Amino acid sequence: MDPFSAEGELINIHNAFHQGQYQEVIDLETSALSPENQLPARTLKLRARVALGQTDQVLSDVNSEEDTPDLSAVKALAQQTTGDADSALKLAQDLAENYPDNGTVQVLCGTVLQAQGQSEDALALLAKHQGNLEAVALIVQIHLQQNRADLALKEVQAAKRWAQDSLLVNIAESWVGMRIGGEKYQSAFYVYEELASAPSTSAPLSIVGQAVAELHLGRLPEAEAALSTALETYPDEVELIANTIVLNVLGGKPTEDLESRLQQLQPSHALLTDIQEKSEFFDTAAAKYSPRVSS
Amino acid sequence: MQSSPNMLTKFESKSSRAKGIAFHPKRPWILVSLHSSTIQLWDYRMGTLIDRFEEHDGPVRGIDFHPTQPLFVSGGDDYKIKVWSTQTRRCLFTLNGHLDYVRTVFFHHELPWILSASDDQTIRIWNWQNRSLICTMTGHNHYVMCAQFHPTEDLIASASLDQSVRIWDISGLRKKHSAPTSMSFEDQMARANPNQADMFGNTDAVVKFVLEGHDRGVNWVSFHPSLPLIVSAGDDRLVKLWRMSDTKAWEVDTCRGHFQNASACLFHPHQDLILSAGEDKTIRVWDLNKRTSVQSFKRDTDRFWVIAAHPEINLFAAGHDTGVMVFKLERERPASAIYQNQLFYITKEKHVKSYDFAKNVESPPMLSLRKVGSPWVPPRTVSYNPAERAILVTSPTDGGIYELINLPRDATGAVEPTDSKRGQASSAVFVARNRFAVFTQTNQQVDIKDLSNSTTKSIKAPAGTTDIYFGGTGCLLFITPTSVVLFDIQQKKQLAELAVSGVKYVVWSNDGLYAALLSKHNVTIVTKTLEQVSSLHETIRIKSAAWDDSGVLLYSTLNHVKYSLLNGDNGIIRTLDQTVYLVKVKGRSVYCLDRNAKPRVLDIDPTEYRFKLALVKRNYDEMLQIIKTSSLVGQSIISYLQKKGYPEIALQFVQDPQTRFELALECGNLEVAVEMARELDRPALWSRLGAEALAHGNHQTVEMAYQKQRNFDKLSFLYLSTGDQEKLARMAKIAEHRGDFTSRFQNAIYRGDIEDRVQMFKEADLYPLAYLTAKAHGLTEEAESILEATGLTDDQITLPTIEEPARAPQPFVQTFKSNWPVKAAAHSSFEKALLGEAGAGDEEAAALGFEPEDDDEVVTAQDTLEDEEEDVGGWDMGEEIAVEEDVDFVNVDSAEAGAGSSEADLWARNSPLAADHVAAGSFDTAMQLLNRQVGAVNFKPLKPRFLEVYKASKTYLPATPGLPPLVNFVRRTVDETDSRKVLPIIPKDLETIANADLQEGYAAMRANKLEDGVHMFRAILHSVLVNSVTSEAEVEQAKKIIATAREYILAMSIELERRRIAAENPDDIKRSLELSAYFTIPKLEVAHRQLALMAAMKLAFANKNYSSALSFANRMLANGGSAKLLDQAKKIKAQCERNPQDRIEIEFDQFAEFDICAASYSPIYSGSPSVSDPFTGAKYHEQYKGTVCRISEVTEIGAPASGLRLFVPGQY
Repeated sequence: MDPFSAEGELINIHNAFHQGQYQEVIDLETSALSPENQLPARTLKLRARVALGQTDQVLSDVNSEEDTPDLSAVKALAQQTTGDADSALKLAQDLAENYPDNGTVQVLCGTVLQAQGQSEDALALLAKHQGNLEAVALIVQIHLQQNRADLALKEVQAAKRWAQDSLLVNIAESWVGMRIGGEKYQSAFYVYEELASAPSTSAPLSIVGQAVAELHLGRLPEAEAALSTALETYPDEVELIANTIVLNVLGGKPTEDLESRLQQLQPSHALLTDIQEKSEFFDTAAAKYSPRVSS
Repeated sequence: MQSSPNMLTKFESKSSRAKGIAFHPKRPWILVSLHSSTIQLWDYRMGTLIDRFEEHDGPVRGIDFHPTQPLFVSGGDDYKIKVWSTQTRRCLFTLNGHLDYVRTVFFHHELPWILSASDDQTIRIWNWQNRSLICTMTGHNHYVMCAQFHPTEDLIASASLDQSVRIWDISGLRKKHSAPTSMSFEDQMARANPNQADMFGNTDAVVKFVLEGHDRGVNWVSFHPSLPLIVSAGDDRLVKLWRMSDTKAWEVDTCRGHFQNASACLFHPHQDLILSAGEDKTIRVWDLNKRTSVQSFKRDTDRFWVIAAHPEINLFAAGHDTGVMVFKLERERPASAIYQNQLFYITKEKHVKSYDFAKNVESPPMLSLRKVGSPWVPPRTVSYNPAERAILVTSPTDGGIYELINLPRDATGAVEPTDSKRGQASSAVFVARNRFAVFTQTNQQVDIKDLSNSTTKSIKAPAGTTDIYFGGTGCLLFITPTSVVLFDIQQKKQLAELAVSGVKYVVWSNDGLYAALLSKHNVTIVTKTLEQVSSLHETIRIKSAAWDDSGVLLYSTLNHVKYSLLNGDNGIIRTLDQTVYLVKVKGRSVYCLDRNAKPRVLDIDPTEYRFKLALVKRNYDEMLQIIKTSSLVGQSIISYLQKKGYPEIALQFVQDPQTRFELALECGNLEVAVEMARELDRPALWSRLGAEALAHGNHQTVEMAYQKQRNFDKLSFLYLSTGDQEKLARMAKIAEHRGDFTSRFQNAIYRGDIEDRVQMFKEADLYPLAYLTAKAHGLTEEAESILEATGLTDDQITLPTIEEPARAPQPFVQTFKSNWPVKAAAHSSFEKALLGEAGAGDEEAAALGFEPEDDDEVVTAQDTLEDEEEDVGGWDMGEEIAVEEDVDFVNVDSAEAGAGSSEADLWARNSPLAADHVAAGSFDTAMQLLNRQVGAVNFKPLKPRFLEVYKASKTYLPATPGLPPLVNFVRRTVDETDSRKVLPIIPKDLETIANADLQEGYAAMRANKLEDGVHMFRAILHSVLVNSVTSEAEVEQAKKIIATAREYILAMSIELERRRIAAENPDDIKRSLELSAYFTIPKLEVAHRQLALMAAMKLAFANKNYSSALSFANRMLANGGSAKLLDQAKKIKAQCERNPQDRIEIEFDQFAEFDICAASYSPIYSGSPSVSDPFTGAKYHEQYKGTVCRISEVTEIGAPASGLRLFVPGQY
């Protein structure tokens, strides 16, 4: 039986991870799990640490156990996250070659490959999955990043046929919905709101999701309410900050403070790099024009 | 046969055989006449026996309440008819005449008549006012078992064991008795011969029809309330339905089913149903139109003898061998569900309707649920799913069914649902966006189903579960008879259990944090984790509840709307005249459904519970607000405050000095206490005040209290302990004055005043003590004189050896000067708030650079703006920039991998508007568009706007950890999914610009912050330049905004230039004067133009340019406005008119029309060559052609341009 399925004992840790409740994942008591589930649980805990930026601990934890492909894959992810891109890529490629059927390797190495822009390789690796929802979710995301909402939608609909109840599929469907828009915004909103409104499942991830959906629905006051309360609780969440910037621009409010905060926390954030790039682009484009008579 | 699940027994009594029943028309009373000769009066709502009447001999069979008077009538086997008063509970009189058992008695609905049927084979009509028999109807030739008046017409129906039902016409009788004053001859004749045919052969009552069809004796007959129908029940076990017209009556049909004698039958007062009761121990309900059995109810051992219906509310009663039962045929609670501002409910016609709370309107029927469940069974619950716009309806039919139905988009009438999913279940609720839970009581199982009605999960419910409710996200509440269980569906785990018995309904608060569990007589408030917060008990049945937004629970009982705070404090809000089911509380309105499933709004006064809530939350501002705005007084709130430990707050409400005093003492507010004690001035109060003040250490108050009480001893002691020597001395004086030796002695001791003591002893003739005292304290002279006075000598006296006498202690600290610093007087923050409110004053308006102006002028700015017609050249004249229809649009079905084009690219393709290209990040094409449309060449000033628009176009949705967030594109076409039509959102729409930015600009003008103003208006220009609007009308508005901004920038720039010259080149007065004159030319708001004119006028006047000053003054006066400005203008005008000459000649023709060149700030008279800016429309002298516009700083003057595009018809 699939340990992540609704009846499996890993369902809680798995869901917590995908709801973005990383600390809860780390804190979960897993010693009572059956032996065959110990490794997946440990992997999830390590991934949660990576997500929280505790990569040093993770690296030292897995260093001695590189024989296990799962842990090795975690190492690759941790390296990628610390910025050691070359080692990460090399390790990921090795793993992809040697253990292409290992679910953890597929997902984590797929992540590393995609992060390095090797979307085709990532998709090729992920395509080997056997009913691994995480792989499905990752495929969906890669398709979306390639602006192929059509393929993403297909992937989600296929997954829904055999795993309709899964949280991850619901979330992935929301990702696609946010691209497609229209009524799908509202559906995506419901998914995130359901998560965000219950304290037991609420996390920055779901609040951001909810707020972003509101924003797309044009409900700015609601989005603002969600973001501003969340920012008080999680002042250092970059995505909260980034989306608040967007919201403030739309509402005609100043964004300088938030932008400098984002600059401190994550200078590589897409919003900042994007704006920087566009700013330069503006200057070159503007340079082509000048008045016929300079005054 | 199974007892029907729908028949709801409301009350049951135990007694001997019940033969007659009557409902009181208004009160919850029922009269039961028993075979044992007793008549009982029950309150069926409370279940109490109110009274017993035991004057009949033997069984009492007939009983009836008068519809309006406080009377009832009974008829028994003692042949007697008795009329009783319900007020005195006494028998008023007895009507004798029948010669055998009286079977039934009934009042007429309007005439003072009683109708009785008897075994003596007669039917009699009695007048209960003059207590006489007025008519005897003979014709039946066996016992008459039942006789009833027609509810509206002059007819009587009777049933007899002679197997017939007879219909009698009594219009003759009415005629005879309704006009007794003008008695005609015939009437007199008739009256003289009662019960005889009159001259024309008419009698008072004639048999109109004889209905034959029963094969045995007929026990009961009833008229239909409105239709010409009659129903009868007989010993042939049949219930027969008859119809009559004016001329004939005939049998319509027979209801077969009773397998013993049918004893009574009647029509349902509101529905097309017949009810019958029989000796086969059943009550049966029949469909009037189909004459088929709808439902039946069986008792195990008791035969039914009689059945009655309440005249107004939906209640029935039946009498049987061991008592009566009061019951309803069906639940009257309309099924309803709430989502945000909408209520979805099911009407009596089984139509689904919605009701909008905000608009207060009912929708037309959206759906007919006629086919859900059996026709006479209303749906029990409805659950709404906003995501799918679906409802889940349950009905108790056939052991419980559910049906999942999608609501139509628009309410177009009661259509039958087309695509519905159904199944068996006791209850069903939505638990998530795409899941619902279905509970089957028989196997105690809950199935979680998806929207296609397939089971995804099954859960075993806790033993004894009777119902399920939504339990918060992903959870269910199981209701068992003794407890409520919170269950996590996903983890399949019981999270909590709470022992509450008999819960029937669960109502969640609006924020989902609390739930109210309603049982018949209890409300239990729990948190969402099922921890009990509070619980309260009601003696009257609780019907429904709804939460206020502030977390106050409002609930309804049978006759009240009440509230409960979370802490369990509760009270009555208002009374109800009919039972309602609350659905929502909003402000002062309570929305509810009545028993006819009509939405109703009740007005309530929420002050009391709001106040209590504010008190609990210590929200003093709100309390203050409530106190100030509403009349919240009354003993109840004061005693509530006192009880809850808020005497200081109660103090604020009380006027009565005694109560104020008590409260002040309780909260230690001595100031108020003193004030009140003074006002009342009673010793008991002073004494209590003294004790309290002493405890506080407030000895000044203590002193006052003692003084008032003339408590000298205590005063002395107080002065001693506070070290107030002076007052102590005065106390001694007082004591001396009063001749109170003890007191004087004490004071002397306190003060260490030996002389006084000696003196006192002497006065009291206590010479030995006086001598001793004097001697001991070394007052030898005094001692001597005492000796002398007593005639003794020194050696005659033996003195005990005494030590050096103790000196009276002297105070170190002069405590009496002020109070001890003890126990701060309780000035609660509430009081502070009360006291402090006076301090909060009006804020001073910001200092203005110019003369202050009236505020309403600013307000009207917007209107004036719209009135102004502006000529904005170069707009909308050229050709559109053709954006070719994209043929090679990305094929959505393409299965091949590879990157697609992002939505941003689509935006650029979908729109010819520069703003949309900017949002798409396609800055180069945006610039190209702007260049062609308005000749934009200098883009640098537009950079912030470009980046702003671009920044607002994307959101960042975190997805897989380890990968960058998913970028999504924010659309202004929220409902659009066709990728060829999606368009980006553009921040700062026209409305914001007009309402916020423009007003800021005006404010800068008013405040004389011209540099800021220029920036602001320029920013407005840039915002409009890169923007999109939603209609042609908005395009016009945009043009006006551009024109306004242009005029203001021009005006402000001219004035800035003048100030620069005045500072740099003070001698160039001519230029200054000219510029100040030009400043008055741009088309500003009138108020602002006045400022410009004022400045120009003053400058001209100061420089003796009286002619110009005069023209400015005239223009000001023509414009009107604030009196202050006009006064000045008038004064200057008067001065200038004496000598209308300009000292300095300036280039300003006050009579000519001209524009101002925005570069050189010099006039462009009409006719002289000029160029204009394609965007702003600003005018320039020709030599400035090709340079950047001074106003916009973006566009090129005189550049060829097609006109700015902000709107594409057909595309939002």
